[in-house]
Amino acid sequence: MTTILINGIGSLLGARVAQILSADESLRLVGLDRRMPIAPVGRAEVLTAAPDGQQLVELLRAEQVECVIHLALLGEEEPAPNREVAVQQNVLGSMELLGACAHAGVQRVVLRSSTQVYGAVPTNPVFIPEQHPTVRPRHSTLLRDYFEVETFAANFARTHPDMQIVVLRCAGLLGGGVWSPLTYYLTQSNPPTLLGFDPRIQVLHLDDAAVALALTATCQATGCFNLAADPPVKLVQAVRLAGHQPLLCLEPFTDAAVALGLSHDLTRGWPFERNFLRYACIADTRRAQAELGWSPGHDAAAVLRELGEGRNVYAAREQTEVALQIFLSRRSQS
Amino acid sequence: MNEQSTPRANERTDAATFSTTNHTAPVSPAEQPSAMVNELAAEVHEIEIKVRNRAQQAEGDTVQVDAFVAELLKLIAENLERMAPPQVRFALDLLRKFDIDLEDYLSPDFWRGAGMLIGYQIQEQSAFIQRRLQGDYQIDPYGMDLEIVDIVRPFLTFMYRTWWRTTTEGIAHVPESGRALLVANHSGVLPWDGAMLATAVYEEHSSSRIVRNLFLHWFSTLPFVAPLLADLGQVAGSPENAINLLENDELVCVFPEGVKGIGKLFQQRYRLARFGRGGFVQAALRTGAPLVPVTIIGAEEIYPLIANAKPIAQMFGMPYFPVTPFFPWLGPLGAIPLPTHWTISFGPPISTQEYGPDAADDPLIVFMLAEQVRSRIQETLDAKLQERASIF
Repeated sequence: MTTILINGIGSLLGARVAQILSADESLRLVGLDRRMPIAPVGRAEVLTAAPDGQQLVELLRAEQVECVIHLALLGEEEPAPNREVAVQQNVLGSMELLGACAHAGVQRVVLRSSTQVYGAVPTNPVFIPEQHPTVRPRHSTLLRDYFEVETFAANFARTHPDMQIVVLRCAGLLGGGVWSPLTYYLTQSNPPTLLGFDPRIQVLHLDDAAVALALTATCQATGCFNLAADPPVKLVQAVRLAGHQPLLCLEPFTDAAVALGLSHDLTRGWPFERNFLRYACIADTRRAQAELGWSPGHDAAAVLRELGEGRNVYAAREQTEVALQIFLSRRSQS
Repeated sequence: MNEQSTPRANERTDAATFSTTNHTAPVSPAEQPSAMVNELAAEVHEIEIKVRNRAQQAEGDTVQVDAFVAELLKLIAENLERMAPPQVRFALDLLRKFDIDLEDYLSPDFWRGAGMLIGYQIQEQSAFIQRRLQGDYQIDPYGMDLEIVDIVRPFLTFMYRTWWRTTTEGIAHVPESGRALLVANHSGVLPWDGAMLATAVYEEHSSSRIVRNLFLHWFSTLPFVAPLLADLGQVAGSPENAINLLENDELVCVFPEGVKGIGKLFQQRYRLARFGRGGFVQAALRTGAPLVPVTIIGAEEIYPLIANAKPIAQMFGMPYFPVTPFFPWLGPLGAIPLPTHWTISFGPPISTQEYGPDAADDPLIVFMLAEQVRSRIQETLDAKLQERASIF
């Protein structure tokens, strides 16, 4: 009997992961969050609390947790209240959790990150492999939090060779009723893009992310994995598929608008930094497909169209059924 | 007007009679899409010729009416050639169903028919724009948009056939399918040579393959240029990208001289610059792709580069700032390339498979292959320059 702790089960993604993992009878599931889950969580036992480091160690020891899926991140499923609070929970919270896991003898930790940690620079390869260096984001945003957590986790993995630390770098989440920085960007009446640039972007369906997390929790692979739906779409095309027309901005004017505080601040929504409107940052998902047995079940264009047609809703029964079938078939293969 | 139009009309007559022999025979659209396009276009061309012939014999006001009608029909026929088979089938049905005689333009039926065809074309165009505005189009994983390629292609074909009157040799050396790395000499200030090489393969090769040129990263920083290059299937040059494309069995083209080649002065023309650090050979070795040396003659003279204004280039962050007899003195007009005569020559492929992928880490093999490709291109350059009578 393996016990898996899902930290952040209150989020849609956390609930979905719990629901999928519930199908595996050999697993015991424990959910932890500050608030009650907003969606069904299957067989998971939910603890609504905000434990500090020492209490976390006690909890992990008492429940004999072997694997932790860490999804408790502010700003990913709802706008972050303020940067200080977000950094406290995202960066310091993740560091505390990793420390507690080491103390409690947890073998496996699954962390969530973003494919945008590679940064948007013109020298990016057309498909960025996992070993490509990450770039420290210039502004303090959720992306910076991911970068800091990843840097810490990489060093932590080096000093704790007995622990298996996995980082799943996800493209912008869409579908299944989820709020994400990307849906925030795409559901504006005229999402801003830069005149004369049209990079490719990637998206990821909520269920595909959940299946990948579930698969990662139950296998032995370590390191980083890129997750994104196929195929990449152009930014302007994505905006149009989502049912809007882009607002083509001239760059000096956007600079001025940001400086004067007229423009929406980039910290709340995708793309975190303006360079992502200019250069592509497309992750290579071949490693996840080969080593996790994962493959995206939702087409990028279809997910974007759903968003445009207002079908981005939580449909518990049918969607879970589909995601479950995908997960079980992958498990039986591997 | 009449005098000028006669020779072209005669040319057309041959084509028209050739493809209208089975005028009434039903054409299976799925099997012969191009045959059907030709048929309808030929039908309209034929009528245009008749109208022009009549205009030659007529006098007075009718001449002008005839000329106008002929131009109208020419426009329709040209547009028909660009249509997709289902659209052509629809237009063909339209003409036949109402039994409209396009020859008799004095009858109201003629104008109804022409109006219907034009209306249908406008409808098609607006449906296309509407579809684009809804984001309903496909791109390949590297960002190529075939609809944009189709829009730009006629212009590139014009430059290839009419402007530079390109002669292409040894096209059979480009493999029918599967990976291959074309290696060419770079010249001409603006990368027209890459565009023409791709056009040559598309126009002359039996399987009309798409060439993926690897371009300088600097171009990805330029507004409008970067998305256009991506739409046309071009990819920024880096070893990772070359390997990724070759692994997907694409036809990749590199210009190993890079900026040193494209920005070389007129007095250094047709002298190959250093071939980088052999990164292209490493990509070919890792993927087992054959190297096809390509020699391009004529591109050196399209903008005779007198000097490279380095301080201005640095000011704008450009790799070089060209000074030619026409640029920057004539402004944008100076960017019109000279209509030299081009020769693109594909050499026999050099196989890399026998070395194995690990040879990519052996500098001796890498430099040996790079030198082999370089000397092949230089030899062909020298030989072709000897043969060449005039640059125009």
